[in-house]
Amino acid sequence: MATVTPALWRRWGPWALGLVGALAALGLQTQLYTGQVRTVATIFMFVALALSWNLIGGYTGYASFGQVVFFGLGGYFAAVTMTHLHWSFWVALPLAGLAAAAYAVVIGIPLLRLRGHYFAIATLGVAEGTREVVINLDGLTGGGGGITVPTVGAAAATKYLGNDGFYLVYLALAVLALLITGLVSRSKFGFAMRAIHQDEDAAAAVGINTTRTKVLTFALSGLLTGLVGATYAFQQVTIYPERLFDVEITVLMVVMVVIGGSGTVLGPIIGAVALQFLSEWLRQNYTTVHTLLLGIIIIIAVILLPQGLVNYLREARRNGDYSLLANVRRYRL
Amino acid sequence: MTGFLQATVYGLLQGGLLALVAVGFSLVWGVMNVVNLSHGAFVVLGAYVGWQLNTSLGLDPFLGMVIVALVLFCIGYAVQRFLINLVVNGPIFITLLLTFGLELLLVQGMNIVFTANYQSIPTSYAGNAIVLGGIQVPLGRLLAFLLAVGITVLLVKVMANTRIGMSIMATGMDRGAARLMGIRARHVYALTFGIATALAGMAGTMVGTVGTFNPAAAGGFTLLSFVIAVLGGLGNMYGAMVGGLLMGLVQAWGGYYLSGTWVNALAFLVLVIVLMFRPSGLVGKAFYAARVEV
Repeated sequence: MATVTPALWRRWGPWALGLVGALAALGLQTQLYTGQVRTVATIFMFVALALSWNLIGGYTGYASFGQVVFFGLGGYFAAVTMTHLHWSFWVALPLAGLAAAAYAVVIGIPLLRLRGHYFAIATLGVAEGTREVVINLDGLTGGGGGITVPTVGAAAATKYLGNDGFYLVYLALAVLALLITGLVSRSKFGFAMRAIHQDEDAAAAVGINTTRTKVLTFALSGLLTGLVGATYAFQQVTIYPERLFDVEITVLMVVMVVIGGSGTVLGPIIGAVALQFLSEWLRQNYTTVHTLLLGIIIIIAVILLPQGLVNYLREARRNGDYSLLANVRRYRL
Repeated sequence: MTGFLQATVYGLLQGGLLALVAVGFSLVWGVMNVVNLSHGAFVVLGAYVGWQLNTSLGLDPFLGMVIVALVLFCIGYAVQRFLINLVVNGPIFITLLLTFGLELLLVQGMNIVFTANYQSIPTSYAGNAIVLGGIQVPLGRLLAFLLAVGITVLLVKVMANTRIGMSIMATGMDRGAARLMGIRARHVYALTFGIATALAGMAGTMVGTVGTFNPAAAGGFTLLSFVIAVLGGLGNMYGAMVGGLLMGLVQAWGGYYLSGTWVNALAFLVLVIVLMFRPSGLVGKAFYAARVEV
């Protein structure tokens, strides 16, 4: 039997852990009640969303505050093609992802020239504007009244997948997002993304094609978000523009990534699981004030762990200093 | 033609009010480089404080505005001094998230205290209208417009001519240098945020006088402030005025000529186009643009 050397572990260990995690998630399904299956499926959905935001926001440092536009677009692409063209979900899903990626390229080329807050707001504007367009194309999208995907009977090209089916689809998407993040984070492309985050002008000076890297990253991030959106649309059966383009979905992705640790593979997963779990627990136990408590938790987390849990633990281990006060001092005036 | 003129007048009146909604947002962004996602919540909070003063004390909203401004100033000062100052040097996600958490807290708090029902602040005169050549000018809206413009002009004067105003401007331009000159940046930041929330509160009270509001309206006000601040150029107070008027006109004309809610899409189209071609805003060079990466 071959011995596991540190180098070998560093190369293959994370993949092995990811595989074990995915298999554990598959096994977990058999142990859950019906209600819990849905809750855990939602957690996987947010894991996939957080990982996809992390590509553009965490690695490349472009805070896309309109990320939900790909979610909504993917969702509407799937819903419209399944309703009007009677496409199978399995055809609509990948094409919805590609449509979202194409949209990311189209808006990315002009918008990724903007930096910092300006990029954040421009993407927010695109998301809000796209929502309005979807509302007003009511012949196609049903407008504000929503659109209902046929899930039963002759009109349904694909039968409703049920809680267990969607659990598997979301798990597959989360694994796909993890796989892409894992591959990207160790590739030359990933280093180009990090270089752009740290100093874009310097990155361009050492020969990185910054525009291509940024647009590709945005497309990749849009692709994953679009796939999740398409699945969400089918799961919800009836979708409304207000829900599919809800700013809160974007903000949740950002919160999860920042709390977990942006620009890391593990951070968004931890952030998504922790926040979604907490949010669900608060919803069940403190129904009236759960949003209020969530607000307070976000404020405290941002003040105490501004660099995210994973980055905090890394730095703390390196420096041997686990004090949270050092975190507060870092960004304080 | 009368319809068009009516829409124009309505748009200008609404635009003046929108300018006051946004001017504080623009100030905070320009001086501190903080995009305050809770700005709309402070607008709505101001409306509720004005409404509460009106219901329990019978105070006229246009007089009650002074108290609203004082209350909101104190809240804003404390929020900046003890909360936002803790992360003000962080990357942009951090301040965005902190203020988003604050927004959740405020909106949900107002939902619990005031319920989610629509409210408005009634006056005996706001509904009356002056008719000029067939065009209706509602008195409440006219008063709100004049006050909003007056307050904005006053703010510009205060910023340019008083010691406090100049220290805010100086801190916005170069915080390090300002601190070396003996300006207490923590205090100045808190003052700036307090002024911004006081202005937002006053705008909110006027919004409540000419229309209806509920806690869920907060997000819409924040987005509008975004658009207007960018249109006008950050930290540029006259720019916010121009941006506000432009936004009011776009909305009114769009509502007049376009069906459905295309008008909302139009507003964001304008925003994206301005960002792509003139990120420093429409009105000249943004005063603080040198410090903001573009």
